[in-house]
Amino acid sequence: MLTPRAAAPSRFLYLAVGLISAAIIALQLVVMRIFAVGSWAHFGSLVVSLAMMGFGLTSVVMCAAHAWCDRHWRGLANTALVCFGPLAIGANLIAQQVPFNAIFLISDPAQKWRLAANFVLYLVPFVSGASFLGAVFLHRKTAFGKVYFADLVGAGVGGMTLLIGLYVFRPDDLIAVPLALWLVGGVAWFVSQHSRRGLATLLGVAVLSLAAHFVLPNLLSIPKLAVSDYKGVAYARKFPDNRRVYENSSPFGYLEIYSSSYLHFAPGLSDNAAFNLPAMPANAYLGMYLDGDGPIGIMRELSATDSQYFHYLPMAYPYLLKPNAAAFVVQFGGGISTMVALHNSRTVTVAEGNPAILAAFRRNAELRDFTGDILGNPKLDVIDYDGRLYLANTPKRYDVIDLSLADSAGLSNPGGFAIVEKYAYTREAMTAYMRALAPGGILAVTLWNKEEPPKSVLKLYTTMVAAARVAAPVPLDNCFYAVSSYLSTVTVLYKQGGFNADEIAKLHAHSKAMSFDEIAAPDSTFDAAQIEPTLANYRASIFGAQTPAAANATTEPEVDPTAPLGAAQQAGPLVPATTMGQIVWNALLHGDHKTTAWDDVARRYVFDTRPLTNDRPYFAAYIKPVDLPRITDRLELFQDEWGYLLLFATLGIAVTVATVLIAFPVVLGWRSIFNRYPGRLGTIIYFACLGLGYIMVEVSLIAKFVLPLGNPTVSATILITGMLVFSGLGSLVSGRYLDRARAIMPKIFIAISALLFAYGAVLDPLLGWIGSLAYASRIACSFALIAPPAFLMGFPMATAMTWLGRLGKDPMFLWAWGINGSFSVIGAAAVPIIATAYGLAAVLQLSGLAYLIAALTFFAIFAPLKKPLAAVRE
Amino acid sequence: MKKNGFVFAVTLLLTQVFSPAMANASPMTPFRWDLAPAMDSQENFVNWMQQNRHEDPGFLVQRWRRYLAVVAVKDATDERVKEAFLWTPREEFVRPINRSHSYDSAFLDIGYGVTISGPHLVAHMTSALEVKQGDKVLEIGTGSGYQSAYLSHLTDKLWTIEIIKPLAERTRGVYDGLIAKGYSEFSAINSKQGDGYYGWPEAAPFDKIIVTCGIDHIPPPLLQQLKPGGIMVIPVGPPGAQHVLKVIKQQAADGALTVSRSDIYNGRVVPFVPFKKLEGDVIKGAH
Repeated sequence: MLTPRAAAPSRFLYLAVGLISAAIIALQLVVMRIFAVGSWAHFGSLVVSLAMMGFGLTSVVMCAAHAWCDRHWRGLANTALVCFGPLAIGANLIAQQVPFNAIFLISDPAQKWRLAANFVLYLVPFVSGASFLGAVFLHRKTAFGKVYFADLVGAGVGGMTLLIGLYVFRPDDLIAVPLALWLVGGVAWFVSQHSRRGLATLLGVAVLSLAAHFVLPNLLSIPKLAVSDYKGVAYARKFPDNRRVYENSSPFGYLEIYSSSYLHFAPGLSDNAAFNLPAMPANAYLGMYLDGDGPIGIMRELSATDSQYFHYLPMAYPYLLKPNAAAFVVQFGGGISTMVALHNSRTVTVAEGNPAILAAFRRNAELRDFTGDILGNPKLDVIDYDGRLYLANTPKRYDVIDLSLADSAGLSNPGGFAIVEKYAYTREAMTAYMRALAPGGILAVTLWNKEEPPKSVLKLYTTMVAAARVAAPVPLDNCFYAVSSYLSTVTVLYKQGGFNADEIAKLHAHSKAMSFDEIAAPDSTFDAAQIEPTLANYRASIFGAQTPAAANATTEPEVDPTAPLGAAQQAGPLVPATTMGQIVWNALLHGDHKTTAWDDVARRYVFDTRPLTNDRPYFAAYIKPVDLPRITDRLELFQDEWGYLLLFATLGIAVTVATVLIAFPVVLGWRSIFNRYPGRLGTIIYFACLGLGYIMVEVSLIAKFVLPLGNPTVSATILITGMLVFSGLGSLVSGRYLDRARAIMPKIFIAISALLFAYGAVLDPLLGWIGSLAYASRIACSFALIAPPAFLMGFPMATAMTWLGRLGKDPMFLWAWGINGSFSVIGAAAVPIIATAYGLAAVLQLSGLAYLIAALTFFAIFAPLKKPLAAVRE
Repeated sequence: MKKNGFVFAVTLLLTQVFSPAMANASPMTPFRWDLAPAMDSQENFVNWMQQNRHEDPGFLVQRWRRYLAVVAVKDATDERVKEAFLWTPREEFVRPINRSHSYDSAFLDIGYGVTISGPHLVAHMTSALEVKQGDKVLEIGTGSGYQSAYLSHLTDKLWTIEIIKPLAERTRGVYDGLIAKGYSEFSAINSKQGDGYYGWPEAAPFDKIIVTCGIDHIPPPLLQQLKPGGIMVIPVGPPGAQHVLKVIKQQAADGALTVSRSDIYNGRVVPFVPFKKLEGDVIKGAH
């Protein structure tokens, strides 16, 4: 075996580092996909975030044993490298045999252990990968910039490779992508080390790993990917006559379409249909599932008799007033609202941002037959990207614009809802819809109304009113009409120029015929006496004292949440969510002192009702930040906010683990390990700020770039690839300025901060404009926007690490790397918490601040090494 | 001597093994409308049920304690609903692995992606149905079978439909096993596997309908099969964060039919783990 240590490393070494980094990031994304399909995505985020703590853990261990690691770096790297593949496969297979179920986390103690097992299992391969990288970093510490360049660019390429892999592999076999990257990376590594034995071992292990994944599950009859019984698709698979009509895997989700006579869809159907409609359409539906969530209803082309059913759906409303409309349907989804539009309009334009859905309806013969080739209908124009982007930039005008239950999937999601950007529902999007209306045109938005106390619908109301104020600065008193069906749906109609008396009469008559409750109408009367008891009851329900002792300590009345109505409450509302809707609309539109009336209601209401904006595009985080400390003893009241509450759990655990990792060397050997290294505190703060700052920029920009790119997967890929590759280049270029780092780095930090603050301020309109371009141009512009900050953000880490290496601060070098990794996890968990409360711009500005603090502590890196005690004696 | 010792040991062993059966050799007292378990104290209840229903005293104590909690938080206010809670052996309807948690307030997994609702929710939904003896009740979503078993102590005309075939068969087996043991009231439960969306037209109309599965609208066939004045209850939302929609079918003087909707909890958020805690026979404090 040839080991020319002194020689300059071959390019194969950098290739190996790049590919192993690619494998690690691909594995991270695979685990996320496995959770998204098998259970719920936000639990994947939790597990992966914590598994990434493997980097911190590895660095601490290597830091404590840095001398040994330095001596045995090659053996450590070889072993860690060979183990990564089989550990990834093995951990995944075992984890799939111990799935945990989120909904039983509180009631079943065993679930906590299953969650812990998942965490530990998925941690193992990351520790192995981190050990390999750590060993190579340590060995190449004096030229860290280059190896870090390979690491970052490799990770970027890994993200892109996985994106392509999503087209090729189903979620259960997607792990083949990181495995392949690992294998190629391993070959490059052993070639760089001229080790035939290593090469042979690697190949043998790779064959065994592949066999374990592709053969073992069949032999043992165990699942490669355990899909929770509580996923939507799991129910369809249990229907006796179920048949999978279509299956497709792509970056836009794992799409399945099932047929069964047991599937029935009529979102928000009027109860009166039962007494007036001769029969419901039978065998008329298919169920579409994305990543196992759903179903989203697909409907057969109905006969004239059957199509009377459309009249009883809430999405029929705008067509009552606009019977021969040029209609625009903002999101195709399963096509039910498009069908309603086709049956009631002159022409229909429909948009769909998910190309996988359009491909299914266009290419699959059975789907085409079933829907009467709906997308081929001559009355229909199809826009193959987001409706909000199209409407914001088209000169065309429409009589009806419909946004109906675009998110029908996850109607009852036992795993809770993840924090997802809903740019189609923001004030800016609504303004665009309103401006795209022809004179007298109607915007109709229908949303699920299953919450009590109401949450999402109130945000919808405030958003639409805020948008209307921007779109047309006229009195809004006559512009809105809204109806709800209790614990079913709400529909809000906005008419440009306002409804006239005839139209209002028509709407009244229809709502009465449908038994829908009117919650806003230009001529409605409102009993202000309802405000006080409704708000007080909601507050008592959520924040009421729960014990007599607690009652004495608080001003809230004691309430028994399960008690039936007392005599005093009998007069109170039986449908409080409906009453609350009326209160909100009245305060927003007809209050005596409009703004103040609304501010008062919003302040006293139990949940956050602020409008969705492009800066804060979330139907989530309804608990007001100020109330968070008050709900810690009653988390069970917020089971539908799992996604949100888990962020706090993730953040809490990440902070704890990071603290332990930092404290570990301090407690065990601060004096012995770091005795000779001054500037410790500054170094900790420096690398913590870099970790926090970098990841917060990356995660918040992923959320922001969904705005022009329309799809979270594409946005994540462009951002991960773009950020890492440009930062990699930055770290490579930083090598040229190493000797002048003291002079140059402060300028770099200021430039990064300035850019981030500027992005926070101007990104929204810029991204809105980019959204109007052709898709290829959008991607090019996205890369161009990412490049400047990402390139500069590649400098600080590489420069500081290389200097730690050059100054011989080996343990600090490793420790710094771990601190950086640990704070990345903290930052990633903190982004959605900050973004939902204060907006994405605030996240970018905080990142800018982190880089400024890093600038202040930068010089701690250069604190001169103390001479060893022995040397002093000499 | 040795042989005698052996015989003695065998006799002792057999006595040990069969003693509960021997103690319960008298036939189980069948459920009757005019019969009620002792409800004045835990001890009397457990003794009465042991003697008459041969049920496990451990579970009876748990049932009694949960009963006190259910009554304390007013999930059951009607005397018949309270009594029916005490009659129903919930432990027979949970999976063996969860038997010790039968009377926990939480919902439990019963396989196939289905849960058995917590005892408080079942009691409250049953209360909301206002079932009178002789009412015809249809249940959509048999699930564990506990809800229908509970209802069988309130009326003797029950129909229940389960969509998942193996679950429907398993629960039918549970009913049959219990009927064979002497739970004659479960004979009133007519069950089948099928699509609950279309109701059970052959047995319609119904006085009450209880739907325990998620759907994006109330199935019109069910509203058609509900008698005017009839009540339907439907849980809305995911397990653990549910509201229960109460639907009343109304007929105006001119014959026009309409439906009124409300929430059985009047819009309050109800945790599946109730705040109240039981200490002895007294409800105290929070968990």
